[in-house]
Amino acid sequence: MLLSLDRISKRFERSSGATKLALTDISLELERGQIFGVYGPSGAGKTTLLRIAAGLVSPDGGEVSYDGRRLNELPAGELMRLRRREIASVWAAETPPAGLEVLEHVAMPLLVDDRDHRGAARRAREALAACEAEQCAGMMLNELSDGERQRVAIARAIVIEPRLLLADGPARNLSLIEQEAIMVLLSSLAHDARVAVLVTDSDSETLVGADSVHYLLGGKFVNPAASTHPGKIYQFPGRSRQAAADA
Amino acid sequence: MSAKHAVLGLLLDRPAYPYQMADLMQQRLGPSWRVNSGSLYNTVKALESDGLIERVHRSPDGRDERHVFAITQRGVREFERWFEQTPDTVRLSRRPLLVKITFAGPHRLAQAMSKVDEYERDCAERLNAIAGMRDALPGTDEKLLRADHLLLRLNLSSDVFALEGELRWAQHARELLTWLAEQEGALWPNGSGGERGSASASARTQLFTRIARAGSDREERSNTPRAQHPAPERAAG
Repeated sequence: MLLSLDRISKRFERSSGATKLALTDISLELERGQIFGVYGPSGAGKTTLLRIAAGLVSPDGGEVSYDGRRLNELPAGELMRLRRREIASVWAAETPPAGLEVLEHVAMPLLVDDRDHRGAARRAREALAACEAEQCAGMMLNELSDGERQRVAIARAIVIEPRLLLADGPARNLSLIEQEAIMVLLSSLAHDARVAVLVTDSDSETLVGADSVHYLLGGKFVNPAASTHPGKIYQFPGRSRQAAADA
Repeated sequence: MSAKHAVLGLLLDRPAYPYQMADLMQQRLGPSWRVNSGSLYNTVKALESDGLIERVHRSPDGRDERHVFAITQRGVREFERWFEQTPDTVRLSRRPLLVKITFAGPHRLAQAMSKVDEYERDCAERLNAIAGMRDALPGTDEKLLRADHLLLRLNLSSDVFALEGELRWAQHARELLTWLAEQEGALWPNGSGGERGSASASARTQLFTRIARAGSDREERSNTPRAQHPAPERAAG
């Protein structure tokens, strides 16, 4: 098992002193070559879940294991090595630095890891080409369309040739064709490159094609005995529940 | 579904004149249940001849169509049978618009797109009207909570969600048709086209094969006993 979250919980203190339960009793297991989808409304805990899986935030309860080792027991240097070499992420709320060319931006994870410049540029081009964004290489980051920005963000994530990809709403705000292209790219990354992919979205339809799709609401998985068949979202009561609440 | 069981359902609450039934259907179930008096008359006649409803009394003016109808015991049993035993499966509609788009061919894509625009406008107008109706109903925080109002909201919501879905589809159809119109070399069923470049596909295959191999190598290494695990290597310079 590459990534395993076992009964994770996380609380946040509000400025009023009240406590918000961001995640309660979340368990999931992810193997190389699998794509795992989590959908839920804003505030459901999707980003917190990914940040915990990335080792950026420690849970208050439960265990996160990566490749059989507990993340919270790893020395800081080793955790950093994992994040530089094996665990890649795409964050929804990330604002790319201004004044940077796309190629440099995509090569950056390799450069901060002391790789040689020419090799990093070559690999950045390869990653952009694999994401159908080679035409963006010479553009400035602020010149990109939403769809191009997401492709570039994924290229930047896979340039390190990771084993785990955490993608927080990578298809958000995109047209349906672009959403589909992003999901095809992520599926191929899981099934052909054998990367473990954990992807979130606010909408379940976007995640059709994931190996399993889970509904996260108020920090809990709704119906944790979830579908393991691609595209089977109908087993989840979440959508109908939402509809009843709106009616 | 025919209006038959909706009429039986209405009469479960109280007897009614046929013309009242038409109004009540819309009041309880929403505007998509509008029926003309002719077809309602046929429904009532059929229900009566099947013994599912009966005339209970004649109106004071004595005119035939002013008969008040009530549900019979057999009618109640039929409603219950239908309620319990008929499966509630979803039925997708066969839209003429889809036939037009499907068989438009490469030279009529622009016209197909304008049909989509028309459809989208129609959906938007109807969505506005029905959502307006739904929002005008009393909310859940009123002093007197009326079940029929709440259930009518549920009916209207069903149309609202369906129309939202249609709008979403129209948006998708426009995206897809625009995209298709820009593609040179799409293969059409009449045999035209059929050549596409695949430079990025092969770039993807190459990189992803390499990532898969590198991942397997790491996996093998991490399966070796921890004590022999090599120290994190420095990047190749």
